[in-house]
Amino acid sequence: MDIGLLSFIIFLPLVVSFILLILPVDMKVTRNIAFATTVVVFLLSLSIFFQFRLTDYMQFREFHPWITSYGIYYSLGVDGFSMIILMLITTLIPLGYLFLWKTKKAKGYWASMLLIQTGVTGALLSLDLVLFYFFWESMLLPVFMIIGIYGTGNRIFSTLKITIYTIMGSLFMLVSILYLGVAFYNEFGVWSFQLSDLVQITILSNLQRTLLFFGFMIAFAIKIPIFPFHTWLMQTYSNSPTGGVFILSAIMAKLGIYGIVRFVLPLFPHQYVEFAPYFVGLGVFGLIYFGIAALMQQNIKRMFAYSSASHLAFITAGIFSLNAYGMTGAAFLIVAHAMATGGLFLLVGNLEYYLGIRTISGLGGIAKKAPLLTVAFALMLLCIVGLPGTNGFVSELLIILGLFQYNHYVGVISALTVLVAASFMFWLFQRAILVKTDNDISELKDLDKKEIFGIFGLGAVIIAMGIYPHWFLYKIEPTIQHYLLDILKVGVAS
Amino acid sequence: MKYDDIIYLLPLISVGTGAVVLMLLSPIKSFNISKLSWVTLFFLILSFIANALNFGKVYSVAPFAHLFSSMFVIDTFSGYFTSIILAGGIVTVLVGTHYFDKSDMLRGEIFSLLLFSVFGMILLVETKELFSSFIALEIASISIYILVGFQKNYTRRVEGSFRYLILGSMASIMFLLGIVLIYAGAKSTNIIEISSYLALHKSQDMTLVITGGMLILITFLFKIAAFPFQNWSMDVYDGAPLPITAFMASTFKVAIFGFILRFILVDFHELKNIWSDILFYVAILTMLYGSFLAVFQTSLKRMLAASSIVHTGYLLIAFVSINSIGESAATSIIFYLIAYFLSSMGAFGMLSYIASDDHLRVTYEDFRGFSHIRPYMAAMMSIFMLSLAGIPSTIGFIGKFYIFVGAIESGYTLLAVIGILATFISVYYYFKLIALMYFYPSSEMTNVPPLKGIPPLIIAVMAVLIIWGGVGNTLISYFPGIDFLIDTAKFAYQSLFIG
Repeated sequence: MDIGLLSFIIFLPLVVSFILLILPVDMKVTRNIAFATTVVVFLLSLSIFFQFRLTDYMQFREFHPWITSYGIYYSLGVDGFSMIILMLITTLIPLGYLFLWKTKKAKGYWASMLLIQTGVTGALLSLDLVLFYFFWESMLLPVFMIIGIYGTGNRIFSTLKITIYTIMGSLFMLVSILYLGVAFYNEFGVWSFQLSDLVQITILSNLQRTLLFFGFMIAFAIKIPIFPFHTWLMQTYSNSPTGGVFILSAIMAKLGIYGIVRFVLPLFPHQYVEFAPYFVGLGVFGLIYFGIAALMQQNIKRMFAYSSASHLAFITAGIFSLNAYGMTGAAFLIVAHAMATGGLFLLVGNLEYYLGIRTISGLGGIAKKAPLLTVAFALMLLCIVGLPGTNGFVSELLIILGLFQYNHYVGVISALTVLVAASFMFWLFQRAILVKTDNDISELKDLDKKEIFGIFGLGAVIIAMGIYPHWFLYKIEPTIQHYLLDILKVGVAS
Repeated sequence: MKYDDIIYLLPLISVGTGAVVLMLLSPIKSFNISKLSWVTLFFLILSFIANALNFGKVYSVAPFAHLFSSMFVIDTFSGYFTSIILAGGIVTVLVGTHYFDKSDMLRGEIFSLLLFSVFGMILLVETKELFSSFIALEIASISIYILVGFQKNYTRRVEGSFRYLILGSMASIMFLLGIVLIYAGAKSTNIIEISSYLALHKSQDMTLVITGGMLILITFLFKIAAFPFQNWSMDVYDGAPLPITAFMASTFKVAIFGFILRFILVDFHELKNIWSDILFYVAILTMLYGSFLAVFQTSLKRMLAASSIVHTGYLLIAFVSINSIGESAATSIIFYLIAYFLSSMGAFGMLSYIASDDHLRVTYEDFRGFSHIRPYMAAMMSIFMLSLAGIPSTIGFIGKFYIFVGAIESGYTLLAVIGILATFISVYYYFKLIALMYFYPSSEMTNVPPLKGIPPLIIAVMAVLIIWGGVGNTLISYFPGIDFLIDTAKFAYQSLFIG
C-alpha cells in the first residue's frame, strides 16, 4: 500500500492527535508537537502548490477501494479551487496556533484542534460523496468537544445546539447522496458515489433534482450560515473558546461555500441557475440584515460574528451571480475574508484573554497601551472593508462587478451596503481601540513575539495578495473557467 | 444414517452439555461464581470453535435428516447467527461475572440458565419448521423469564419477570394458534412446504393460512418489541439485572431477527405482500414512538431500552424493502445486526460494569463529569453512543447507510426519510450523555470500579471493533474490513437457497 501526499496531509494531524492523547505528556509538549505538526502539513501543502499544474483536472489523485460492494472509494484529488482553500487552511492554522499559544487549556484542546484539521482537509479533498460526508460529519465531533469543554457562558447549550443543527442539515444531505447513488445504480447498473460518476445521471426528474438540490443546500446553508439558518451562530460564537471561533469562522464557514461550488453546482446545474436569483436575494438581504445586526451589538465578539455572517452572505451572492466576476470574486473573498476574520477573532481573543469579556464601551485607550495590537487590528479591519492594497479590495470589487452584471439594482444595493459596512467598522475601531476612556485596561499586554510573527505573517500575505493577486490566483483560473462552462452549458440549453 | 453429520451439531451439543453440567455443578458449595463462569466459558468457546470450523464456505446440510425429518438445517446463515449468539454469551459472561459476583442473590444457576437460553437461540436460527421453532423460542424465552426475575428480593425484577412471562406467554399462544391455523390450511408446518402451498392457491382459498400468518407476525412483532407491542420491553429491560438486559437487548434480539429473516426470505407470495404492507406502517410507528420514548428518559437503562425499539424500527425498514431487493436488504439486516450487537452490548456491558459495585439506578445524572474520573471508560462509552447514533467513522453509520440505501433503492424513500428523522432525534439523547460526561466538573461518584481486569478489556475490544467496522478498508491487506463482513453476510444469504 502506498500513502499519497494528500492522505498524509489529512491523516498526519489525526495520528499525532491520538498519540498525544494516549501518551502521558503535559499540555506544553502537546502544544509544541501540535504546532510542529501543522507546520509540517503546511510545508507539504506548499509542495502541492508548487507541483500543481495549470489545468482544470483533478490532480494528486488517490483512489483505493473502500466498500467495494457499494462502489465507495477512498478517492482524493485537488483542483485549483480546493488547492487555494487547502493553502488557506494549512497557512491559517499554524499562524492561529501562535496566537492560542498562551491559553491555559488542557491538552485535549490541542488534540481537538488537530482532529478538526483532519476533518476539514478530508472534506475538502474527497471526491467521493460518501467519503465527503464521512469527513463532513467527523469534523463536528471535535468542534462539539472544544466548545463544550473549553467554552464559556452557556457553552453546553450552545454546543448541543450547533451539533444538532448541523447534523440535521447533514442528514438531509445524506438522504440526497443516497438517492443519487441509487439513481446512478438504476441507470448504469453499478454502484458508485464518485462525483465524476454522479454528474452523469440523467434519469432524475426535475422535481427530484430540485428536492435533492435543497437537501444539499440545507446542509451547506446551515454551515455558512445563510439567512434564515443563522440562529445557531450568535450563541456559538460568543460561547466558544478563541480557537473554536477561529476555526468556525475562518475555515468551516468557507467549507460550506466550497461544498456548494464543488458538489451542488456540477450535480444540479439547472437548479443552480434556476434558484440563483433567490440565493442572490438571500445573500444581499443577509448582507444588509447581518450588517444592521452587527451595528447593534455591544459585545465586540458578537459584533464580529454578525459582520462575518454579513460577508459570508456577500460571498454567497457572489457564487450565485453566475458570471466570471462574481465567481472569481467569491473565490478571492473566501481567502481574504478567512484571513481577516480569522485574524480579527484571534485579536479579540487576545483582548478577552487579558481583559475578560467586555462590551465595546468598556474598552478604549488600547492604542496607547498596545500599539502593535492596534496596528494589527487596523490592518485586518482594512482588509475586511476592502481597502485598495489588501486582498479584500480585489475580491469585493469583483463581486460587486459581478452583481452589477447580474442586475443593476442588486449591484447598487450591495455596493452601498459594503460602504456602510466599512464605515461602521471604522466607528467600532474608534470606539473600542482609539478613544480615551477611564476604563481600566492595565491588565492588557501588547503582542508577544510569536503573536507578532503570526499576525504580521498573515498581514504580509494579505498585502501581497492585494498588490499582486495574479501570482497567488493564476493557478485557480482554469478551474473557475471550468465551473463557468458548466453554468454556460445550462444557459445555452435553456 | 450419516454419522459425520455430527460435526454440524457440535456447537449445539456442546452448549446443551454445558447447560446440564452447570446445573449439576451449581449446588456444590466449592464452585463459586467465578469458577462456574470459567466452566461456562469453556463450553461456549468450545461451541464457538466448533461452529467456526465451517466458516468461510457456503453450505447447507440437514443433519440426520430422517431422524429429525428435516426440521433443522445447518447452513452458513445459521452458522453466522450462531457465532453472534455465542459471542453474545461469551461477552455476557466475561463482562457480567463482575456484576454477578458482587450481587448476593445471584447464584450459580444463572450460568446454566444462560446456556439453556443460548441453546434455544441457536436452535431457533437453525429451524425451518414451525413447531420446532416454537420449542426453540420457548426454551430461550423461559430461561430468560427466570433470569430477569432471579433476584427475587427486588420487586422491580420480579415485576419485570412476571410481566414478561404473562405477555410473552400470550404471544406464544398466538404463535401456537397461528401454527395450528396454518397446518389446518396447508397440511404442513415446514416453511418450504407452506410456501409451495401458497404458490399453488389463490388468496380467497386460504383464509386460514393468512390468518395464521398474521398471528405469527404478531408474535414476531411482540418478540422484537415493535409498535404496538413495545411496552413490555421498557419495564423488562429496566427490571432485569444489567448483564441480563445486555444479553436480551443484543443477543436475544439478534436470534429472533435471524429466525424471522429465514422465515421471511422464503417466498410466501400472497402472505409476504400483506406482511410487507403492515410492516411499512409498523416500521414508521416503531421508529417514531421509540424516539418519543427515548427522549424523555432519565435513566440510561431505560433510554437504551427505548433506543433499542428505535433500532428495531430501522431493521424493519430493511424487512419492508426485502420484497424488491432480497439479497441486499437481507445483507443489510445481517450487517446492521452486527453493528447493533456490538454497540448495544458495549453500552450495556459498560453500564453493568459501572453499576456492579453499588447497584444504583444508573441515570444520566450519575455520569456527570465521568470523563474526569475515568477518561478511557468515558471515551469508550462515547464510541458506543456515536455508533448507536450512526455518526460516521463507526460501524453504526455503515449499518444505517446500507439500510437507507436499500430503502431508497426499493422505492421506499419515505421510510428512509423517517429513519433519518429518527436518527436526528437520537442524536439528542445519545449526545446528552457525551455532553454530561465531558462538559461538567466531576461529581462524587466514588464507587466506580477501576479500569482493570477482564470486563474493561472486552469492552475496549468492542469499541475498537466498532471503529474498525466504520473505517476499516482494504488498504491493510490480510485484515478483514467492511467488505469482508458484507461478503460473509452475502454467503449467509446465499446458503438459504441451496440444498
